[in-house]
Amino acid sequence: MSTNILEEISRRKVFCDGGMGSLLQAKGLKAGELPETWNLLHPEILKEIHGSYLEAGCDIVTTNTFGANRLKYPAGGDFDLKAIIKAAVENARWAVKKAGKGFVALDLGPTGKLLKPLGDLDFDDAYHIYREVVITGCQAGADLILIETMSDSYEAKAAVLAAKENSSLPVFATMIFDGKGKLLTGGNVESAVALLEGLGVDALGINCGLGPVQMKDILKEILAAASIPVIVNPNAGLPRSEKGTTVYDIDEDQFAAVMEEIGQMGANVLGGCCGTTPGHIRKLTDRCKNQRQVLPGQKNRTVVSSYTHAVVIDRDPVIIGERINPTGKSRFKQALREHNLEYILQEGVVQQDQGAHILDVNVGLPEIDEPRMMEEVIKELQSIIDLPLQIDTSDLTAMERAMRIYNGKPLINSVNGKKESMEAIFPLVKRYGGVVVALALDEKGIPDTADGRIQVAEKIYKKAAEYGIQAKDILIDGLCLTVSSDSKGALTTLETVRRVKDQLGGKTILGVSNISFGLPQREIINGAFFTMAMTNGLNAAIINPNSQVMMKAYYSFRALADLDRQCGDYIEVYGNTSAGSGAGDAKAAGEKGENSSMAGRGLTSGRPSALVASPSAGQNVMELGDCIRRGLKERAHEAVKQLLAQKGALDIIHEEMIPALDYVGKGFEKGTVFLPQLLMSAEAAKAAFDVIKDEMSKKGLSQEKKGTIVLATVKGDIHDIGKNIVKVLLENYSYEVLDLGKDVAPERIVETAVEHHVPLVGLSALMTTTVPSMEETIKRLRKDAPWVKVMVGGAVLTEEYARTIGADHYCRDAMASVNFAESVIKEDS
Amino acid sequence: MNLEETFRYLGYKGNMADEQTLKLAEECWQELEKRAEKRSCYKEFPISIQDGRLDMGCFQTESQALEKNLKGCSHVVLFAATLGVQADNLIRRYSHVQMSRAVVMQAAASAMLEDYCDQINQEIRQEYEKKGLYLRPRFSPGYGDFSLNCQPALIWGLEAGKRIGITLTDSLLMMPSKSVTAVIGVSPAPAKRSWNTDVQAASDGDKWNIKGCTACNKTDCLYRRENL
Repeated sequence: MSTNILEEISRRKVFCDGGMGSLLQAKGLKAGELPETWNLLHPEILKEIHGSYLEAGCDIVTTNTFGANRLKYPAGGDFDLKAIIKAAVENARWAVKKAGKGFVALDLGPTGKLLKPLGDLDFDDAYHIYREVVITGCQAGADLILIETMSDSYEAKAAVLAAKENSSLPVFATMIFDGKGKLLTGGNVESAVALLEGLGVDALGINCGLGPVQMKDILKEILAAASIPVIVNPNAGLPRSEKGTTVYDIDEDQFAAVMEEIGQMGANVLGGCCGTTPGHIRKLTDRCKNQRQVLPGQKNRTVVSSYTHAVVIDRDPVIIGERINPTGKSRFKQALREHNLEYILQEGVVQQDQGAHILDVNVGLPEIDEPRMMEEVIKELQSIIDLPLQIDTSDLTAMERAMRIYNGKPLINSVNGKKESMEAIFPLVKRYGGVVVALALDEKGIPDTADGRIQVAEKIYKKAAEYGIQAKDILIDGLCLTVSSDSKGALTTLETVRRVKDQLGGKTILGVSNISFGLPQREIINGAFFTMAMTNGLNAAIINPNSQVMMKAYYSFRALADLDRQCGDYIEVYGNTSAGSGAGDAKAAGEKGENSSMAGRGLTSGRPSALVASPSAGQNVMELGDCIRRGLKERAHEAVKQLLAQKGALDIIHEEMIPALDYVGKGFEKGTVFLPQLLMSAEAAKAAFDVIKDEMSKKGLSQEKKGTIVLATVKGDIHDIGKNIVKVLLENYSYEVLDLGKDVAPERIVETAVEHHVPLVGLSALMTTTVPSMEETIKRLRKDAPWVKVMVGGAVLTEEYARTIGADHYCRDAMASVNFAESVIKEDS
Repeated sequence: MNLEETFRYLGYKGNMADEQTLKLAEECWQELEKRAEKRSCYKEFPISIQDGRLDMGCFQTESQALEKNLKGCSHVVLFAATLGVQADNLIRRYSHVQMSRAVVMQAAASAMLEDYCDQINQEIRQEYEKKGLYLRPRFSPGYGDFSLNCQPALIWGLEAGKRIGITLTDSLLMMPSKSVTAVIGVSPAPAKRSWNTDVQAASDGDKWNIKGCTACNKTDCLYRRENL
């Protein structure tokens, strides 16, 4: 092309074409027929449609490749995917040539599958699906890439990365929002804009799902957040079915009239989606072509995002939870070594419950494979916690892998003023997007004065700009050094914070608790310093949100600094607690890391749960066995602590806990106790076990395991609740469980069984469609691990079915698996 | 809050739940009410039945149970509903944090989805009754001999992916997991009493009209309804 589409957009309103599917149907495309096959079967029709849109006044024709991907056109099928894409581009190219104007947009639609953890498509597989289309489409001569109708930000990220990494064409991306401005997978306008701009798309916007009328409010939100050109491609209106055909609530003229308003509001690229025709586009272009083009201005907002929401880092301080970090925590280190992700996830959940806005993730330990662990932990965390994450590592490979698979725009910790650091980190920030923490130090070390630190900050901003990274995406860390070794240290830090804000117009972050290193009762200093830092304009603080001292400083600062209207948040958090009760106990528990007893509360209330949980001293302590039988987690926790003063750990387990668990288990088998109660008892027992485990590890002992059992939900099946129930119970009965998760390939199950030489494997399948893969797994186990006993369970299985597929035992419920394990492992030993 | 159904899904078979579990179930419902994003869509298609082959425009299948259900119908309404990904997120989160809550949440979500389907189904029924047409009980793939293999075409025909976010895994499970698809027959005449218990109930306007286990062969099912 002689002119560039981006130049065109900078000068004038640019127009996309309208719907494709309904036009093809009018030409005879049957229900159920794949539209993309027509690129090859009826090229003349496609050429005609593209031509009529160009004639109607559009600038961008989109190729008929919405569903052209490997999943819908598998290798060896009736149609060759590459031929379809190539023909699609050629048809559009032909029309552009004939019209003597226009651009060909290679269209990428959703894969039709949900990505993990919501569905079964791997992020990397999604990337490769798009990559293939991008490479083929570019070779065929597309002018730009239009990623559209995306309802999942994660899938959009895979598509954008595939487009950017495999072509040099401009990349546009439009998402499908509902009437409330939400994506079907839970994101909103602000989180989508943050992600897409971070990834460096050239224009972004909204298409499909709604008519132009309903899009106006969403457009307002987009315009308030976006700094790049905005695209609006609505449906012809809201559809309804009339005698089997789809009709829309507004006509072409009404459509064009609303689009004119949309153009005036500030949309830069306008077109249509489902139901719109060359008629719509003609009227639209007539009305809008002379409108003045105003590009969205740069928004000076510092934003990170998760897959559900964005967090703006500004005057209202943001709390970054620091607990996912092994430094100085032996239990955390042990969890990393043992690959105990559950423990790490708990740390995340508790911090969210305590009010953290972002979670720092640091899993660096010399003896582990950090890149692999980082990737795994990020994936797991973002599958159960919807907070933005801060990727904290000095390992570049770990950082890149985490940034790549993170579902949002992350915080990155960190870069510094050293040339080497900037040259390594900035390209990653540019490629994947993110806000980066920049430490105010360089080759010469940490400057003693605020002047020196400001100079380093300026150098960092300057260098970042060379990479196209804006100042708003940098948080300057003014560096907190321990005040016990330099009495002026705190003042220097505070001055740096203040001057970054006032003098440089920048944003700041601090790892607050460093200030008190080496001092007794560190929290006292930390809390005071935190308040001082916020008063000086600190925007983000890396702290322990489980510390009530810190949270009290935070809530009271906000109330006093006009950041908490009518002190609403303060009252919500502290309104129902009396001084010295509740909160204080919770703090104590949090500090010791004994958080399991409060996990799982207050998920959606947005209210710190520590204020609710935790029994206070002086309460009647119930018998441990009773607590377990009745499923009282917090009380079991207390009871076992008391009991440990009188009895040895093993005696407690055998004399108190196991009999209680047996009692509940028998009740479950008889039908007098039901599943939720069985699990509550198990959880109470687990809370007690955790206390015992701590006690034993203090004495350098570890609890002996009865044996190791592999558990997995078989390939193709992504229901894992049944398997998880079994796991909870088996662990209570002192079995070591190797939980391989869900959708697990037979090879992996066999490998694990062989590697650990386990006596027992438990397999779960929920659907008839996945039982064959259970059968396959059993066959392979028989061959390569003939000693292994296999127990199976799941909704569709029966005693007989289990026998037919060759299992040793059918477990009708979770207790049955415990009983079978007891019998197998007893025989074994 | 449909606690009765929640506990049926938990295998209580009509037994009373203790106070603690009851409280847990109530909390789960409250959390779901806040987080679940109920969405549905439906679309009418003509149907023809020939030699045991059912053709619903966007897909064809053979199923005796469905054929019996659709006898005398000129059209079908294809229907899909979901609680969205947030319900799954809640269940997933709690299965890491508090299994007892995950299990109850799972049951509550199933009950909530059924209620939601009933509600939308009722709205569709009223819409058709205004036109003098009657609806048959809703019938889902996977139920009786109605094959799950129809799911891709049904979901495609409804555009349920784009419109309400329902997708399929390779093994034809719906994601989000709390989702339902169904075929609802449209007939010019109300269903006759003598047909089968499901349909009979339907004509009575009984609240069980669109539920029932009669067409299912799995008689040892933990969740099977008695009295039907």
